[in-house]
Amino acid sequence: MSARSIPRTTLGEGASHEGFLRHKSFRWAKVAILLCAGAIAGYALIDVPGRHYGGTPFGYVLGTVSVLLILWLTMLGVRKRAMTRGRWSLKGWTSAHVWLGLSLVVLATLHTGFRFAPDVHTLAWALMLLVILSGVYGIAVYAALPPALGDSRGELTRPQMVDALAKLDAQLEAAAQPLSHGQAALVRRALAEDPFAAGLVRRLSGSAPRSPTRRAIDRLQGETAVVAVLERKAAALAQVRRHLRIRALLEVWLYVHVPLTFALLAALAAHILSVFFYW
Amino acid sequence: MAFLLRTVTASAEGREIVRTRRVEGDRLTIGRGPECDVHLTDLAVALRHAEVARSGDRLAVSVEAGLTVALDGRQVSSGSLALATGGDLRIGAHLLRFLPTPPDSGEIAVGIERVTEGEAKLGRRADRLFSLAPVLPGKRAMAWLLALLVVALCIAWPVKTFYDRQHRAERFARFQADEIWSAGHLSAAHAALQHNCSACHVKPFESVRDAACAACHRDIHGHADPFRLARAQPDLTAWGRFQLRVKQAFNLPPGRCIDCHTEHQGPQKMAPTPQRFCADCHGSLHAKLPDTRIGDAGDFGRLHPDLRPAAIVGWNGERAVLGRLAAGPGAREDNGLKFPHALHLSATGGAAQMARRLGIGRSLDCASCHRPEPEGARYQLVVMERDCASCHSLAFARSGGTVRTLRHGDPAQVIADLRDYYGFRTASPPSSLAPAARRLPGEAPAVSTRIRFEAGAHAPGPEAAIRAVFSRGGACYDCHQVEAPPAGSLAYRIHPVAFPERYVRHGWFDHRPHAAQSCGSCHQAARSNAASDLLIPGIVTCRGCHGGERTSKPVASPCAMCHSYHARPGAPAMVVRQRLRGERRAEPAAVVGEGQ
Repeated sequence: MSARSIPRTTLGEGASHEGFLRHKSFRWAKVAILLCAGAIAGYALIDVPGRHYGGTPFGYVLGTVSVLLILWLTMLGVRKRAMTRGRWSLKGWTSAHVWLGLSLVVLATLHTGFRFAPDVHTLAWALMLLVILSGVYGIAVYAALPPALGDSRGELTRPQMVDALAKLDAQLEAAAQPLSHGQAALVRRALAEDPFAAGLVRRLSGSAPRSPTRRAIDRLQGETAVVAVLERKAAALAQVRRHLRIRALLEVWLYVHVPLTFALLAALAAHILSVFFYW
Repeated sequence: MAFLLRTVTASAEGREIVRTRRVEGDRLTIGRGPECDVHLTDLAVALRHAEVARSGDRLAVSVEAGLTVALDGRQVSSGSLALATGGDLRIGAHLLRFLPTPPDSGEIAVGIERVTEGEAKLGRRADRLFSLAPVLPGKRAMAWLLALLVVALCIAWPVKTFYDRQHRAERFARFQADEIWSAGHLSAAHAALQHNCSACHVKPFESVRDAACAACHRDIHGHADPFRLARAQPDLTAWGRFQLRVKQAFNLPPGRCIDCHTEHQGPQKMAPTPQRFCADCHGSLHAKLPDTRIGDAGDFGRLHPDLRPAAIVGWNGERAVLGRLAAGPGAREDNGLKFPHALHLSATGGAAQMARRLGIGRSLDCASCHRPEPEGARYQLVVMERDCASCHSLAFARSGGTVRTLRHGDPAQVIADLRDYYGFRTASPPSSLAPAARRLPGEAPAVSTRIRFEAGAHAPGPEAAIRAVFSRGGACYDCHQVEAPPAGSLAYRIHPVAFPERYVRHGWFDHRPHAAQSCGSCHQAARSNAASDLLIPGIVTCRGCHGGERTSKPVASPCAMCHSYHARPGAPAMVVRQRLRGERRAEPAAVVGEGQ
């Protein structure tokens, strides 16, 4: 009988989605917690003359582990360009990147021995914290925002959104032909309104104070045909701005995370060099 | 008369479409209004924007009030063009190009096209439009910039400062770039070196060596012979061997000053050296150095040799020979003096009676003769003239208002004085200047002495007086060991008297913190009948109050309380530091129950 029964489908990887945070039921989170617990226990139990700091044997161990971790974490930038599956899948790698990166908050802070001063050592620590904070932000927005990103597009693709704007502009230009020169100037400014010209702050806030399109709508109340097109353009602009805002929120952390990572590598080089230079 | 309009537009595929139109008349109206000759569907153009009229060999351009056109690149509200040369008229996004026309020609050719700058919006890739890439500097550029900035500020600048310093002597009164490498504040003692890293970090990539310390600390004494020190080290555990290997691999030789005197720990106090630090070697020193004369010591309460003060154990001619004696009851030293402490401290004996007579007190006590040094840690040597002579007078005669006194410490002078004095007198010397004849200070020899002096007027002469002084019952003999001269000679000699300046030379003892205790609780003077009794107490007495680092005794005493790693004559480093910090008062620190 058993030979004739229908074999059950085995749900392999990919059949059900498991995010990079939960990868292999939090395998790397457990590793990170073990690392932190070991470091904290060592900090509490190992007897050092005076106070803990980076220069005790335990401090050197923590520092070495931390710097190797940082170098490995940086390699994600290289590794992510090759997407693979299996034991060392990119997902597993990313999961380890996140969890081990978070464990650095504990490891490197214990390495400092809570001594902070205006020096190159604290600079390296501070840069590391900024990198980690930006990464935490990145995880948060990656978890929260993608659905909103899809919703903000409506049913349109991005090129369609741009195209719709252009078409509205053409309609507006045609509709505005009978207008007086002063009124035409209002429409012209509305035509010139480019949501993509907004800088970082405008994109992140999604706001458009003194929108020329809005102004034109307010001023041209008599011109129904033009106002109707203007209203449609205002709606399209708002949609584009929502989409831009979510994209900006999703992307902005990388503009902190990546450059500061390299600043951190330089600061680490300075930190390690300074220790051995004045050995 | 006509204008030949040639309008050029671009198709969606980018192909040029040219339409030509002929406008009769010598006037050309230009505007957005459909009634204009040149109809420009451009919202930047007014309904009726401008008019071009031919007058002779020129074209006059008039613009509606308040508006402008660009005539050959200049913004004007009116102007003219020469027909022969032609010209450009720009209105909004449109360019009207009047081609050169001969004066006799009846047609003026005009090219009209839309200048499409900034209109390539759709041409851009939509995906890139939505990303942040166009509005922020590139990640790669920022990464390079920040990294280079950090390298310049945190590596290049400090390294340059270091090498600059090699070439010029600087006063390090202000910030130096390599300070940003500092691992922490220097200790208060080294605060002056804050701006001068190279004072200690002499060579790059070489750990701080003792030579750098010795450049300033010239007089500091090592602990012991380095080879013996190395041999006395405890056996390393596997972990210890591993640590040593690592240190050697990183060019960190063991046994450097900074192993103990760590720096960059902030202005914190150097902790008292823990007992373990000493006990590691000294706890089983004999096992490592069988020939050592130092007893094993690991804890004052449990493992510490008895005190072995350096006392005078004999004489080599005039020179005292010092030797180590086990302290405590029964220890004898050979200081050359006769002095029964018990007799002097007795509350009922002759000394007490004399003290009462002289108004010194009911009896003598330690302080009657022993005076502390100004610093207070130790006591001054007893000086005969100051501390004994008020009772033990050396006066032997009165001459008018002057009392004649024998010179203490110079037997030859005594002999000469007596020989002269009695040689010129018929009277014989007093048969004795015995203790019984003691006088009040300033008084002439006591009456009894004088009577005996008169009675001895028929005595044989100065020789007898000299013999009397140096013999039993004589003034010298009372306190000193007298070496008799050969028969027939008067060259009496006094055995020299000496005391060590310090009995305890490698440990520290300070009387002040012990002032709450009576002298007798440690020094058994009241029962001592001979000056040779070494009244230094044994370790048993100390252990009444002092235990090791961890003890139930009232005073926890780590090794550092009495000993310094760097041998030094004064108080141990820990005590000095505690005094400087105000943690230790010079007065008795704590009153521990009497007689413990």
